[in-house]
Amino acid sequence: MLRKGILLGLACVMLMGLVVFAQEPVTIEFWHSMSSGHQPYLVDLVNKFMEEYPYITVNLTYQGGYGDTEDKVEASVVAGTPPTMVQLYENVITPLVEVLYPIGPHMTQAEKDDILDGLVPNNTFDGVLVSVPWNKSIMVLYYRSDLIATPPTTWEEFAIMAADLTVDVDGDGVIDRYGTGLRPYNPELFLNYLIQNGGTILNDDWSAVTIGDQKGVEAMQYAESLVPSSYISSGYLSDAVGQDLVAMFVDTSAGYYYNHKAAVDNGFELACARVPAGPVNNSSAIQGTNLVVFDMGQTQAQKDAAVLLARFLIRPENTVAWSLRGGYLPVVKSAYENQDWLDFLADNPDYVVMSEAMIDGFAQILHPNYGLMRGAIGSAFEEVILAASSAVDAMANLVLDLTDLLEY
Amino acid sequence: MASIRSARYYTLRVVATRVFLYVLLIAGSAIMLLPFFWMVTTSLKSSFEVMQMPPQWIPSTFRWSNYAEAWSVAPFGRYFFNSFFMAITTTIGEVITTIMAAYAFAKMKFFGKNVLFSILLATLMIPGQMLLIPNYVTINRLGWFDTYQALIIPWLASVFGIFLLRQFFRSIPDELMDSARIDGCGRFRFLWRIVVPLSKPAIMTVALLKFLGSWNSFQWVLLMTNREAMRTVPVGLMSFRSEVGTAYELLMAAAVLAIIPVLILFFFTQKQFIQGVARTGIK
Repeated sequence: MLRKGILLGLACVMLMGLVVFAQEPVTIEFWHSMSSGHQPYLVDLVNKFMEEYPYITVNLTYQGGYGDTEDKVEASVVAGTPPTMVQLYENVITPLVEVLYPIGPHMTQAEKDDILDGLVPNNTFDGVLVSVPWNKSIMVLYYRSDLIATPPTTWEEFAIMAADLTVDVDGDGVIDRYGTGLRPYNPELFLNYLIQNGGTILNDDWSAVTIGDQKGVEAMQYAESLVPSSYISSGYLSDAVGQDLVAMFVDTSAGYYYNHKAAVDNGFELACARVPAGPVNNSSAIQGTNLVVFDMGQTQAQKDAAVLLARFLIRPENTVAWSLRGGYLPVVKSAYENQDWLDFLADNPDYVVMSEAMIDGFAQILHPNYGLMRGAIGSAFEEVILAASSAVDAMANLVLDLTDLLEY
Repeated sequence: MASIRSARYYTLRVVATRVFLYVLLIAGSAIMLLPFFWMVTTSLKSSFEVMQMPPQWIPSTFRWSNYAEAWSVAPFGRYFFNSFFMAITTTIGEVITTIMAAYAFAKMKFFGKNVLFSILLATLMIPGQMLLIPNYVTINRLGWFDTYQALIIPWLASVFGIFLLRQFFRSIPDELMDSARIDGCGRFRFLWRIVVPLSKPAIMTVALLKFLGSWNSFQWVLLMTNREAMRTVPVGLMSFRSEVGTAYELLMAAAVLAIIPVLILFFFTQKQFIQGVARTGIK
């Protein structure tokens, strides 16, 4: 009888403990820019998260494209009502660091070490991992494998091949297909050339503009030399592929679905390769955003829940699931050894190329005015591509523009 | 003989002029209608046909399923309801406030009238982009964020509408007011019983422009709402675009659906709208 009573008492205490220490329900807001093409996959992942953490409710809110989302985040920060979590580019994160809740200190060392090396520096501010990479893509070379047996591997090969593939098929004096395609306002394409030539935008301590030095001018001159062989389009190059207007072009891996579909729908074959190497390397631009958690009025429970969600989304199996369905690339090293990813690569060799490129890609600089700098770089590139300025003049003006943006 | 020849010449000239005018008008109409034609035909194409060069004007098969697919991408039923609700309430609200404000500026005398009107006009010079963040802060502080109040109340008045109607009301003779006063009519009654009926074309113009503006409102709705239940059709159209590609055929299908209410409205109000444009001189 006594034993039964003690056991009953212990059971009551345990039950009370469960009740007392059960997690309080918490709701967080996650603002994202994933439109209908990617949103269902994000919803699946978040539902999976909420099943694992039933006390957490995640309100997913689509806020438009990256620009619209950034405008809204800016307005919400001024109003003092930002969401719990949002996806942002690094340069947008930089001026917000003081109102963010760093994610890194709440991750295990193994989790932090697992993030791809190239993605850590641009998520680290004053030595602290503030944000984590999420929907990342890399620039690769798309080429018509029905026209090109072996893709070019150097700048020189690319330029020669682009010229050779620029053809007037029906002999009417009008070029029917160009060797390559260029989108005028494409800063990342120029930055590929800059980095591959060993150039930089700014010096290490951001006190001087270095993009206008000899390496930068050479990079712009190389872009200028491609113009006669280039289909110039402000629209997506997937459109040009579908119309048999380009034989190869450099574009983001996130556009793979659209590029590939445009080619296949029109009876063409499209494959991927590493971007051609410049004199120094064949690194290409990593694009995509990172997850941040705000610390402006959010409760500790909300911040902790958001950190859990960020860590969940970059778990190897989840970043693989996101990549498999969303066209992005995994952001942690162990994901590249995940069996689902390896099986996917076996069936999709183009993604092998993307995976390799991701390992040594380069990301944005963290300068607070990088958004404006990127705009200036894009405008300079556009002027050269549209023959409104020579490479030398465009770079000289660009240096002046960037110098004005050094102060912040 | 000479008179017969000159009559024939005159007839020929009239016919030639008419033919030339009709050709010009038909060509102009064709140019204006071409984008709509392209929108409708693209909405019925497959993604493969959308980007064909040379352009494929008529789809090889009519994919009506694009409309069903576009409708299912986002809760367009709710978006249409919100668009209608927002457009109708803001239109009614603006018409009422604009009529009263325009009448005051056109027919009443009060201290600082001209200065006040100048200040109102000056606000038209401020780019809307500059006001987005201050307005966002204001809406938040009022507790209206993600509510119908945020979508409707800020849009219940329009300086442009006030200016437009003020110009029209000024053309109404003051003697009418004098006669009405003799018969015991006060200002309020004069406004609604005499001025408004006389100003129907201009008021319809203001109403139609407001409806269009509210129906097409994108950035304000995107900024002021979070929940899908509060969003409108233009925001819903964003669902078909991404940073790396666009589903054009679905986007065009949704755009056709979005434009139908506007076309119906214009069909029934075009006479008054054209009269209003002609009489107020707006282009």
